[in-house]
Amino acid sequence: MEISNKKLSTDAFFAERKEVLGHWHTGKGVDFDEAVAYQRSIPREKRFGLKLAQAAEQNVTLIQPRAGVALYEEHIELLRFLESEGEADLLPTTVDSYTRLNRYNEAETGIEKSKETGRSMLNGFPIVNYGVDICRKVTSSLQNPVQVRHGTPDARLLTEISIAGGFTSYEGGGISYNIPYSKNHSLEKTIAHWQYTDRLVGLYEEAGVSINREPFGPLTGTLISPCISNSVAIIESLLAATQGVKDITVGYGQCGNLIQDVAAIRSLNILTREYLDKFGFNDVRVTTVFHQWMGGFPQDEAKAFGVISWGAAAAVLAKATKVIVKTPHEAMGVPTKEANAAGLRASKQLVSMLKDQDFRSIPAVVAESEIIMKEMRCILEKVEELGKGDFAVGTVAAFEAGVLDVPFAPSRYNAGKVMPARDNVGAVRFLETGNMPFTQDLIDFHRQKLEERARYEKRAVSFQMVIDDVYAIGKGFLVGRPK
Amino acid sequence: MNEKTIVTGVIGADVHAVGNKILAFALEQAGFKVVNLGVMVAQEEYIEAALETNADAILVSSLYGHGEIDCQGLREKCDEAGLKEIPLLAGGNLVVGKQNFEEVEKRFLAMGFTRVYPPGTAVEKSIADLKEILNI
Repeated sequence: MEISNKKLSTDAFFAERKEVLGHWHTGKGVDFDEAVAYQRSIPREKRFGLKLAQAAEQNVTLIQPRAGVALYEEHIELLRFLESEGEADLLPTTVDSYTRLNRYNEAETGIEKSKETGRSMLNGFPIVNYGVDICRKVTSSLQNPVQVRHGTPDARLLTEISIAGGFTSYEGGGISYNIPYSKNHSLEKTIAHWQYTDRLVGLYEEAGVSINREPFGPLTGTLISPCISNSVAIIESLLAATQGVKDITVGYGQCGNLIQDVAAIRSLNILTREYLDKFGFNDVRVTTVFHQWMGGFPQDEAKAFGVISWGAAAAVLAKATKVIVKTPHEAMGVPTKEANAAGLRASKQLVSMLKDQDFRSIPAVVAESEIIMKEMRCILEKVEELGKGDFAVGTVAAFEAGVLDVPFAPSRYNAGKVMPARDNVGAVRFLETGNMPFTQDLIDFHRQKLEERARYEKRAVSFQMVIDDVYAIGKGFLVGRPK
Repeated sequence: MNEKTIVTGVIGADVHAVGNKILAFALEQAGFKVVNLGVMVAQEEYIEAALETNADAILVSSLYGHGEIDCQGLREKCDEAGLKEIPLLAGGNLVVGKQNFEEVEKRFLAMGFTRVYPPGTAVEKSIADLKEILNI
């Protein structure tokens, strides 16, 4: 399969579209011109991108939950509860895992079984099965902008129905919704699928309707060093901008060391702008999202609130435009609406309370972000070189070569040679740098940081540190020390 | 090595890979021969792998909440394939939301599972159970 980072031609797009809308019967309900008119009728205060732009201007951090259940009336009730009782500024619709894999028959079974048993048998809202009209019922029942959040390698039909259904923001990307979410999808395929999604967003943009796009920052959510996730976010921003996307929110998942977390958002902001400008996308708006801790949580709800609040604090001190909020039920899976609202309120307290403090220019943060940017440049320059200037070609080659390598990813297209571990103050460093194109001084820096921890813990640098780190927060610590 | 073979993997449409990698590592450390099918494993794949490797137990993980749908019928399929007595263990976040674990356990035992584990179970617990079940 040939792939290149070029804008899809209108002919190619519409030929593909015919096929895409036939993937499930609800595809028939999508009419582009009618959907443009519908999107234009959505009030300004309910447009995702506008609310983000306003927050960026006012230097405040908005809060957004994750949420989705199988039955649509209950889904509406859930989201209403999160905006009234949880004080959410932005709303989600999290899509179930069957839909993410285009298994619409199984999603249908999930809907039926949920009706039978009276409890949600799906871990999200099956947008494709419901189709445009029910999505409009959802999006029009709420006071705040709503975004679709998922993890779908082939999201073409889902995008069509979502945007026609009144959602004004859409998460995902050809790398970030493949490597952490799939075992067998090739990158050529998913990049092509997401070029379709981005071109569709581009067509809406050209018709006067701006849809916010958000590459998924945290990847596997487990000890992902900022340089890896930031590089992926920038590549996906370039790919999206090429297809005509004008409003992008780049993201990062909290690692837990405050200095590193603030530095991650700072470097993400600076280099995303730099790269977009470098390739002529000066008119693309950039905002940022900070994800509260994505790894294992403590079972105890009070302790979970501690983790949640620390994430909210890091987000606001980094001046992220929004923060994605966890819940005290995180260790148990999908939360109740009350638990979800409680996580939101804890976060709201922190983002409001700390809004006048800004940690971005303290010297330790600046120094750490210089390191992250140096690492990112090593990676991004190599990707560009491998693709001879084409970031789609370069991405495929870079994953093959292990230049881009996401720890703990299920995809067989990921090298899996890179192994992260925390240093002695909890910042995420590398135990193995695999084939990442780092300079010798960067490799030495990481080694020295881990040796420092090993000396303190009186044990050798080893994979056991990684295991201890993965479970540490659930047990009440950041660094996984030996017993 | 204790000469016992364990087939493991994350069932259904679930892609949670972290615990799976660590579980496989810990089982190997404990001396088991591990056939790790990774994520997104279909019921048939567990059975094929168990038959091929003459496995002593199947360990099913599920983190995303659809475990109850995904695990239905696994015991019956094992029986049909000639794996009548094979121990089936399941653990993770098996259902959507925070539910009373005793209820969840009852439903899974009724489905023919040998052992069922609540969220947050330490690897050591499953390893100890495996050793007991397999008389090691």
